[in-house]
Amino acid sequence: MTEKKKEEKVYRQLESNKLLQQIMFQYMLEGHQASEENRLAWVTSGFPVEIPVAMGVGVSYPEQYGAVVGSQKVGPEVCGYAEEIGYSQELCSYARASIGSVEKPDQSPMDGLPTPQALLAGNNICGTVLRWYDAVSEQTGAPVFLFDTPPITDGQPDHHKEYVRNGLDRLVDFLGTTFNTTLTDERMHEVADLSSKALELWNKSLTACKTSPTPLNCADRFLAMAPVVSMRGTELIIDFYETLLDEVEMRVKEGLGAIRDEKIRLLWDNIPPWHSIFRFFNGLAKRGVAFPADTYTHAWSGKLKIEGEGDDLFDSVVSIYSNVYLNKGLEAKIDKMCELIDDYNLDGFVMFSVRSCKRYSLGQLVSKEIVSERTGVPGVVIEGDMVDSRVYNEAQIQTRVDALLEMFM
Amino acid sequence: MSYEGVLEQSGLGLQELVKAGEEIIGYIYPHAPLELILAHGLTPSLMRAIPGVSSGFEESLQTFACSYIRNLYNQRTNDQLPQITGLLFPSNTCDSLQNLTDIWKIRFPDDRIYRLTYPVTRYADDDSTRIYLTKELEILSKMIESTLNRPFMMDNYERAVSIIREFRHDAQFLYSARVVDPEVLSYTELSRLVRSFLTAPLVSVASEIHRVSSLVKEKMKSKGLLNIINSIMSGFQEKDFSKVKPFKRSPGPRILAVGGMVEPQAIATIINGINGVSDSIIVSDLLSFGFKSVFAPPLDKNGEPFEEMAKSILAAPGEPTQEGLQYRMRSLKDLVKALHIDGLLICEQSFCDPDQFEAPSIEKVASEAGIRTVRIPIDPELSDRARIEVKIQTFLESAGYT
Repeated sequence: MTEKKKEEKVYRQLESNKLLQQIMFQYMLEGHQASEENRLAWVTSGFPVEIPVAMGVGVSYPEQYGAVVGSQKVGPEVCGYAEEIGYSQELCSYARASIGSVEKPDQSPMDGLPTPQALLAGNNICGTVLRWYDAVSEQTGAPVFLFDTPPITDGQPDHHKEYVRNGLDRLVDFLGTTFNTTLTDERMHEVADLSSKALELWNKSLTACKTSPTPLNCADRFLAMAPVVSMRGTELIIDFYETLLDEVEMRVKEGLGAIRDEKIRLLWDNIPPWHSIFRFFNGLAKRGVAFPADTYTHAWSGKLKIEGEGDDLFDSVVSIYSNVYLNKGLEAKIDKMCELIDDYNLDGFVMFSVRSCKRYSLGQLVSKEIVSERTGVPGVVIEGDMVDSRVYNEAQIQTRVDALLEMFM
Repeated sequence: MSYEGVLEQSGLGLQELVKAGEEIIGYIYPHAPLELILAHGLTPSLMRAIPGVSSGFEESLQTFACSYIRNLYNQRTNDQLPQITGLLFPSNTCDSLQNLTDIWKIRFPDDRIYRLTYPVTRYADDDSTRIYLTKELEILSKMIESTLNRPFMMDNYERAVSIIREFRHDAQFLYSARVVDPEVLSYTELSRLVRSFLTAPLVSVASEIHRVSSLVKEKMKSKGLLNIINSIMSGFQEKDFSKVKPFKRSPGPRILAVGGMVEPQAIATIINGINGVSDSIIVSDLLSFGFKSVFAPPLDKNGEPFEEMAKSILAAPGEPTQEGLQYRMRSLKDLVKALHIDGLLICEQSFCDPDQFEAPSIEKVASEAGIRTVRIPIDPELSDRARIEVKIQTFLESAGYT
């Protein structure tokens, strides 16, 4: 593609994406190496990954793999492999993609994820992960460790903290026994420092999107969040987030937006439709619609180490990983949306009702009304799926988004 | 009696209680602390999904919410729920019920909503789950006391422990007896008795179950089958079927109904609706509102109340929140072998994670055990009843059971 044609695009590609690709490639190689060395765990996105990382356990993320399956537009095929062995099409498509790829790795992108020796599930993002990992355990023989963080509504009472803390102690024992490894304070502090630093850099990039025009659009953030989800606590990603932040700050300084002609600023709620991510967001970019904030990529914001606060990292892990906002109920989610709309000066919002994700999506019809009432901005709910494009009706979605945009004309 | 008739009857029973001045706490999840609610001088009543409710969920729930919660929500929007003082929701059991509670609180702010959060832990070698749930039960108790001005009364609690212990003992015996002789009591009748008690755990209902249990016991004694039945009951209680005494299998197909929050009576109704088939083919179920409720262990009256309740709830059999898939499937494999099961009816509610994730594993176990399965997609409206009947009939015919 010529430079001229690049310039004509309505969105600006990030230079740091090159580094992102390298890091993600390296991450994939490390996963394979860990698997070959019998020290690989599959991990859910809300799991306190700093602990396995500090204990030398390699990690791979089936949810990220689901995103890959979706973005390569093979969701129906790979999910179909799970359906062939009896898993209902009504189940989570991340789960089906993962189960399907284990069933037929040679017919799945990247030959599937490397084989795990353990499965680490945290239910602070949803209850589905437990059943999903149980199913993968049946397929692979890898044992499941469940890190239970019961939902909280009015603060975290002491007995809840103690219970979650016990779960962490059991996790260390489980990893020690399964992988013949130990956890040292020194290593845990190193990993926590790196995790906190990456999150700090990431949050600075997110916060920079308060400016108009926004330096990052939704698709940019969904791609750039990958390392902070999967490699928190490693040295490798610091360089990337520094480079990203430099680029973001340069854009802010020079008044360069992620899209060329920002007219409308919207909030995105939920996982994106991976199979149509560029088509959807860039299609709207052509009409001057930018998404400076979303509820999903802001979820990775809890730093384990905060200056001036206690030195007990496990207490910090208990608090951070219990207070994931999906674990705090609908009111917390509504508050978060209102806060983002206010802070990022947004004109409206789009809620993607994802059939796969009941924890994220059930309640959107109610929260839409309340968020509009509180903020005075309009919103729309569109329905589909993040991986399985069979249940994504583009024309219907287009009509609904058009109806929202008409309100701004 | 038809399914609808049974529903109407239990609804009337509840209405009479309300008229008599009883305050009802409705609950949704099978493992509610019945003794706790009774100890506060309230009557716990299992809210059931019912057929024939007009739709009303669309403004608040998407279509991919499970059919069970849609039905409950429809009942509320159409004012079809029984007259209840409060409603107890579970937390940390499944995403649909989790979010439904939040939605309900917002949509119906005047409803008195209680929430009990259950721990989800697999084989923790420490006391953390028991300690956590004990504390949650204490909090629930305080909440009930403060909102309804109904203190936890020890004598109420002791009575509750006795009556529920008696119910469980009798119902467990009936479940076990039917395994040996499914004709001794119809599955419909057993389901009705259990349902009656879960709708209103009254002494009169427990007495009726006890009377039936005594009659069945007499019959079984005369046939010399009591030892076998007791060994089956112990197998269910201890989740270990290695000591089940050998018994002669009953004539006809021996089917086990498996699944989650599905009404046993709905299954019985469907089976009885099939031409030439009776519900004696169902020798047992492993459903949440049947087997899993009945076989939760009774409480020790001498123990600390909240701790005892926590221990009982956590030891309820077959719940995916406490038992890993591998464990449950191993147990199922032992069960089908020990109890001479010929086939499985796998009941699945639409958009139900626990049901739908487990179904393929159950099929695998059945296949390894050399028995047949049929998957039954079921919703509380029984909207697909005719097709389900045909499916089961075809299953029975193709397996050579009819």
